Amino acid sequence: MKKSLSLVVTVSMFLVILLSVSAIAQEEIVLWDITTEAESELPVIQDAIARFEADNPEYTIRHVPTSNDDYKTKLQVAMGANNEPDIFMSWGGGPLKEYVDAGKVMDMTKALKQDDWIERFVPAGLEIARFDGNYYAVPITGMRAVLMFYRTDIFEEVGVEIPETYEDFKDVIVQLKDAGYIPLSLANKNRWTGSMYYMYLVDRIGGKEAFLNAANRNGGSFASEAFVRAGEVIQELVDLGAFPPGVNGLDEDQGQSRQLLYADRAAMYLMGDWAYGLIKNENPAMLENFSFFRFPVFEDGKGDPSNLVGSPGGNMYSVAKSSEHQEAAIEFLKYLSDETAAKQLVDLGNLAPFRGVEEYLDDPFMIDIYNALNNANYVQLYYDQYLPPQIAQAHLDTIQGLFGKTMTPEEAAQMVEEEAQKYFNEQ
Amino acid sequence: MQKVSKLTIFLFLLPALLIFSLYMVAPIPLSAFYSFFRWKGFGERVFVGLSNWVELIGDGIFHKALFNNFKLVFLSLFGQLPIALALAILLAKKTRITDILKTIYFVPLLMSSVAVATLWSNIYDPNFGLLNMFLQTIGFENLFIDYLGNPKLALYSVIVAINWRYIPFYMILFLAAIKNIPDELYEASRVDGASKWENFRYITLPLLRPTIINASVLSLVGSLKFFDIVYVLTGGGPNNASELMATYMYKNAFNSLRMGYGSTIALALFIIAFTFSIIFMKVTKKGAK
Repeated sequence: MKKSLSLVVTVSMFLVILLSVSAIAQEEIVLWDITTEAESELPVIQDAIARFEADNPEYTIRHVPTSNDDYKTKLQVAMGANNEPDIFMSWGGGPLKEYVDAGKVMDMTKALKQDDWIERFVPAGLEIARFDGNYYAVPITGMRAVLMFYRTDIFEEVGVEIPETYEDFKDVIVQLKDAGYIPLSLANKNRWTGSMYYMYLVDRIGGKEAFLNAANRNGGSFASEAFVRAGEVIQELVDLGAFPPGVNGLDEDQGQSRQLLYADRAAMYLMGDWAYGLIKNENPAMLENFSFFRFPVFEDGKGDPSNLVGSPGGNMYSVAKSSEHQEAAIEFLKYLSDETAAKQLVDLGNLAPFRGVEEYLDDPFMIDIYNALNNANYVQLYYDQYLPPQIAQAHLDTIQGLFGKTMTPEEAAQMVEEEAQKYFNEQ
Repeated sequence: MQKVSKLTIFLFLLPALLIFSLYMVAPIPLSAFYSFFRWKGFGERVFVGLSNWVELIGDGIFHKALFNNFKLVFLSLFGQLPIALALAILLAKKTRITDILKTIYFVPLLMSSVAVATLWSNIYDPNFGLLNMFLQTIGFENLFIDYLGNPKLALYSVIVAINWRYIPFYMILFLAAIKNIPDELYEASRVDGASKWENFRYITLPLLRPTIINASVLSLVGSLKFFDIVYVLTGGGPNNASELMATYMYKNAFNSLRMGYGSTIALALFIIAFTFSIIFMKVTKKGAK
């Protein structure tokens, strides 16, 4: 009696599990990205899903947002288990290329050429998802530029002007320092924050070719002069006391860099334009005291002063090669990039990478950023997005060494170059 | 008691056994298998023989991480356990104050590791953090301690946070064991005129021995495979100064897309933790005889 009872219980437990699994199977498109509740773009995604489902009742879209860092791991694991969703998000560049090389991503070139859908997007945005002449993702959210934010009132009080050249910049730093301010706020636990200085310096000193030749192995090297000089300049700034004490332990995710600005302790802050939205959110009363300028130029440097570090497209959406609903997925992405979505994105302060988006801009700050991006001759995509992850990681690993002076500029440059050689030899 | 058939036992254990085998046992041979490949975690797997192991043996960062793990083991065994034992003994007497204190001391264990790490990162914030602010208020105006950014300090700062989180766990363990010691033993020793110290030395400590050994094994293994608080607080930085084997494994497998090498580190971690716990248990068993 006892025996048969336990058997019944066990069997019914398995039945429940089986039934609940089979109940899920329907015409469903699974969409993975990072627009959790914390992301301002969530309503745009939700609205596009609602509009798509209303017009295509045979499909439902299951939107599964995951927070940024967890998302990367989750996608990777799903790819490894051949369990990827129909539509997934990435930031283009090196990491997306890994998936493309592994045959995981649908070639969207044909879909883009149909009905001139390709004309919808800013070309530079599509470019970061183009490999061997084919397109593998469409950019949906913001064009991004890294800019030097500064406190206008502190600049006025100390009596310094926006620096044009590196020599002026150093001068401003010394004067701010003498007046008791931390010249440059930076939280470098996260490393990509300090990397922004390094990327700008390499560009200003060696021009865009310095990086491109090293990354694409066109006779360049990560140990070349521009990279070593960039490290030297960072350490020169460290010696001037330009950065906050304890810089390598401060956490950008917790806003420890911006707290220094709000508390009148620091004057400048090199950050992506999203800092504008963050300041607006965290400290609206102080917003009028903030403005930005472009990273100073080196008089003997090769970099074009209009060049920016940033990204011509933020969140990029791809369709999986394994998806059984590729056409519907493409159709949905058209909803996500249409006029309605564009307007919604701009209203949220997001420079959507679609053509003609400037017509909707009315916030002067956003217009300034748009113009800076539009006038840039070259936008240097963040190294950790451009490079294959293995090399990107080596680059990030050297950043704290440079700011903490536990590594010489030569050692840092050499370390990245060695990793790059190792990576490309294995290919 | 009614006799329960083996089949029933088996059936009831089956779900747990399945999950345990799938998520705990199966990954071990699987990691061993992956450690012979160059693999990104998806796509093509390239057989590379022992080259991951050769790399591991010569990898300076792995050596550093291993050394850091041993520092953590040492400071957990000789930091967490004695403090937890002292607290347990102090709180073993039942009064109103000890009841309140017990609850308070238990709080760190109730918080998730990520919350604990975030809390400590606010305490350690060099500019606005609790600790430096406090030091400045009590007169050390020029003292500026960079708890997490200084490579010499970072690991120890993290270990303090880890100890704060896990002391309550061992405290509860010891407290339960102390409660199980029969009062008659203490009464008898009082009749014999034993001091408080002698009570502790000759009654409490010997009877706690099995609990202390169990706690030590838990602490040893836990410290060798430790991950979360370090990952959130410093990410293993600055420049690998607070890197542990587990954080280094994660970085390789998921940030650098080197799943093969990550698996190699994982298996090495497993072998090290396994060996040390076996040795530890053998040694302590011998001592008991």
